[in-house]
Amino acid sequence: MANGVYDKTLRLIYMKIFNLKIIHSSLGTALIILFCTVVLAFGLRGLPGNPTADDLNAPSWKDSGPLELSPERGRFALLYSLIEDGSLQFSLPIARFATPDLGITPDGHYVSLFAPAVSFVVMPGYIIGKFFGASQVGTFAVIALFAIFNVLLIRAIAIRLGADKIAAAIGALIFLFATPAFTYAVTLYQHHISVFIILLSIYLLIRWNNFWSLASIWLLIALSAAIDNPNVIFMAPIGLYAAAKMFIINKEPAKINIRFRKKALVALIGALVPIVLFLWFNQASHGNPLKLSGTLASVKEIDASGSPMTPPLADNPSKAFDPVQKGKSAIGFFETRDLLNGFYIHLFSPDRGIIFYAPVILLGLWGFLFLLSANKTAGNILIAVGGAVFLLYSMWGDPWGGWAFGSRYMIPFYAILAIGLSFVIARWKNNYLFIIIFLPLLAYSVWVNTMGAITSSRNPPQVEVLALEKLSGREEKYTFARNLQYLDGNDSKSFVFQQYGKNIMNARQYHWTLTVIIFACLLGLIVWYALVKHKDSSL
Amino acid sequence: MMQFSIPRSSLKKYQTWLETHGLMIVIAVLSVVSIVSFIFYFQNGLGLAYNDARSHLDIGRRVVEGLKPGLAQLGSVWLPLPHLLMVLTIWNDFMWHSGLAGAIVSMVSFVATGALIYLFLKHLEVGIFGRFLGVAVFAANINVLYLQSTAMTELLLLATMTAGVYYLLRWHKEDNVLFLIKAAFWIMLSTLVRYDGWFLLAFSSAIITLYVWKKKGFKTTEGIVILFCTLAGFGVFLWLLWNQLIFKDALYFAFGPYSARSQQIQLEQAGVLATKGDWLISLKIYFYALAYNSGAFTLLLGTIGMIMLWLDKKVKPAMRWASIILITPFLFNVLALYLGHSVLFIQGLSGDTWFNARYGVMLMPSLAIFIGYLVQRARLMRLVIVGLLAFTIFFSFSSHDAVTIDDARVGSSQKNVSEVSGWLAKNAKYEKGFILISAASHDAIIFSSSLPMKKFIHEGTGAYWESATINPDKLARWIIMRTYSEDDSVYRLTKDTPGIKRYDLVASYPFADIYQLKDQYLPYLITDQIYYK
Repeated sequence: MANGVYDKTLRLIYMKIFNLKIIHSSLGTALIILFCTVVLAFGLRGLPGNPTADDLNAPSWKDSGPLELSPERGRFALLYSLIEDGSLQFSLPIARFATPDLGITPDGHYVSLFAPAVSFVVMPGYIIGKFFGASQVGTFAVIALFAIFNVLLIRAIAIRLGADKIAAAIGALIFLFATPAFTYAVTLYQHHISVFIILLSIYLLIRWNNFWSLASIWLLIALSAAIDNPNVIFMAPIGLYAAAKMFIINKEPAKINIRFRKKALVALIGALVPIVLFLWFNQASHGNPLKLSGTLASVKEIDASGSPMTPPLADNPSKAFDPVQKGKSAIGFFETRDLLNGFYIHLFSPDRGIIFYAPVILLGLWGFLFLLSANKTAGNILIAVGGAVFLLYSMWGDPWGGWAFGSRYMIPFYAILAIGLSFVIARWKNNYLFIIIFLPLLAYSVWVNTMGAITSSRNPPQVEVLALEKLSGREEKYTFARNLQYLDGNDSKSFVFQQYGKNIMNARQYHWTLTVIIFACLLGLIVWYALVKHKDSSL
Repeated sequence: MMQFSIPRSSLKKYQTWLETHGLMIVIAVLSVVSIVSFIFYFQNGLGLAYNDARSHLDIGRRVVEGLKPGLAQLGSVWLPLPHLLMVLTIWNDFMWHSGLAGAIVSMVSFVATGALIYLFLKHLEVGIFGRFLGVAVFAANINVLYLQSTAMTELLLLATMTAGVYYLLRWHKEDNVLFLIKAAFWIMLSTLVRYDGWFLLAFSSAIITLYVWKKKGFKTTEGIVILFCTLAGFGVFLWLLWNQLIFKDALYFAFGPYSARSQQIQLEQAGVLATKGDWLISLKIYFYALAYNSGAFTLLLGTIGMIMLWLDKKVKPAMRWASIILITPFLFNVLALYLGHSVLFIQGLSGDTWFNARYGVMLMPSLAIFIGYLVQRARLMRLVIVGLLAFTIFFSFSSHDAVTIDDARVGSSQKNVSEVSGWLAKNAKYEKGFILISAASHDAIIFSSSLPMKKFIHEGTGAYWESATINPDKLARWIIMRTYSEDDSVYRLTKDTPGIKRYDLVASYPFADIYQLKDQYLPYLITDQIYYK
């Protein structure tokens, strides 16, 4: 009895404190932004300086630097070319820097093989960074900014669909710091911008139903293709639902009235701007508005004279650069025969599997059981988008995503699971069995992914390891054990660690410090949430 | 704003119309799909890619045409029903050489299986949407579409097995003995298509026994099981009898020189029968075959649907019990691989080749039924399931992902015999004289040469074969054989005869060599039909 009174009093004190609006809704958002900004700043990879085209080809910027892999280099190359050279086509040093993912036009110009929009989106970061003498760091910071937007969007969507505010915040933070999304928030990849577009479209779809929201959705759908071509496929369920909104169905006892909203049709106009810009880019870059960059012939290496080295498959060098001969087409990259292997790689493999890299996020699957009964339509859209991401990248010929940390293609999938996870946390926050499973998984996932963020994404897939060992003459790790090795060598690609941290602590300590900070904050939030059970929390 | 209304009465009318005509719609649509699919594969030349397809057609043809036509030509290598059904049309040269005589059996079976899936789901009380989806999952499978366009036996087996299981479900549901008899009839037919049917017979007998025993006791069980097995096992009995009468050994099909077992012994000796005695590898190999044929996502959804069906207390326990029979093909294939009675190569797991990968298609009707059921139960996610299925099916077509075509074209099942058959077509077509050849080894050459069957002396030609393998120069103007291969019965039987020295080697190809009788011996050669028994 006395205990009950004590509990009640304690809760009352808590509620009083919170009712004092210490944590107001906007303050809560601000705290989340602050927390994410600080942690991402500690993780952000980079080097000081404004590198020139020749500098960029030095190992300190490439393999052992922040632009370690070709997806980062390809996008940075286009960005650099746009700002410094004012050209969509690469100068020779920039072309060399972009290999082995370099495209070549039929008339012999080197161009980017990647969808172009990321390079345009990060331009402000480059310019601001250049002003402060750190152009690359500024560029990467734009991606970190999108990662923060994604946390806010996940939280907003989960709340909108009925999840508790704190649970939604926990789910969103888990997405960013307990999955490989962390690694790809501190470097130059397309994933966070893609996730942003997907989440923003979903939010617009479930939040409003007017001309402007629909026009924005069509704009985002069209823009998504220019960020990363497969996005347009993940956006298809969103597009279908937006198209369905052109009709208003009114069920009456005797009849069903269907009204067609002409305005909703006009909203399609929103797609025009990105489409026109995308077509213009393709025309200006490689002379064919309807040809995607990814379907251009690729150049793996450039010889001393500046000419492309002939790929080994071609008997006739002229055919080597003919995408038809090489079987490249926009949908030709996906084969259902690869599904089984793709399922294994993304879920269970030690080099990329979610089970090994971010097991905590898989608990989000349960959340869809709750979500579907709460909001069938939104639940279906989320499952459709998540399912499309999972299936499409399981059909992809390279499900490993080249050299990478964890399954980077699954980042939109993690975001959707995080929404589900919010519902699971809200439902089971006081279920001891859940907490016993959840907390260790969370701690492990944060530990692994913090390590990925501050070290390197250069983890080879298991299938390449034997060949790699032959070349290097030593054992090659392919799981996050490779990142541990990196830390043991007192290495970290974090800008803060390189500039300031390494004078105070070693890389291992830096990793543990960050892990503990992230986990402690999440744990505090969970404990607070479980204790207070504050239905109307203001966070 | 444009507006229109649909009266609910009209909707109800459409729904009733769909309910009434659903089966007819399925049959009509599948018939069109079937014909279009056949034409597609006929035109691109893949319709007869399987070596076995050509052999099946030759067996059917030999029943009606050849030096010794008759039912005995059905032989013992394969069970007889597919060839008996071909006989109806294979007398026509176009039907034989286009493969249509065999494909038409597969095509009708394809339509029938689709219809049976629809009916099965209807009796599981699945709505019209789930029924149509189940049929679509089956019919939009690229491997099913390919196999229904060829003279292979898979679709006929699927149709007969599905019909058997369907009537067993009806019997479990309605306890009407007529359905048990119908089930027995279709299972009997399946036992005459492939040995998978024999396992179905045993497994369904066990299921019936357990069910009736638990429900009605031993006496009734005895009667029911005897009733079922008498008809369902009649095909097996006929096959044993056939082997006894024709080959003087009831188990000739199992232990004879051309049996699958002798093939497997050779493979075992070569060290490539990895599944024998190993459950894990047998499971893994068949799982891959299953995933490659049905599609990994379809397999995943089907498995979820299966679990939901078995755990669904809204479905009568008897029906859930009956639906266990749907997984018979899985049990059979894994068991057959484990026992070494079957061989299946998956590229990447069994070296760089395919062989019999098509066996993985056998669970397609079951998966279609489970998915139809899943969609019925998971109403909240219905559209997503359909959308994601459509998504993967689209990519299966865009990436031409037909493992059965790879199995036929690049695996051990294919033989590019066009050089040998082309030589024969060019040099033997208008010349008098017989060709001595082992049909067991070179049926594909016989088929591809486009020469009439009566031009060939093979194992099934009785006295011609016996004479020609002793004195080849008396009856055979040409000999086709794989020199130095003891597996080729023509080489084995003629290599030591004096007559073989009277031939010149005129052409040599990867699969066979061609020998031609020297001109000076032509006057002594018999070129007309001499034996009529």
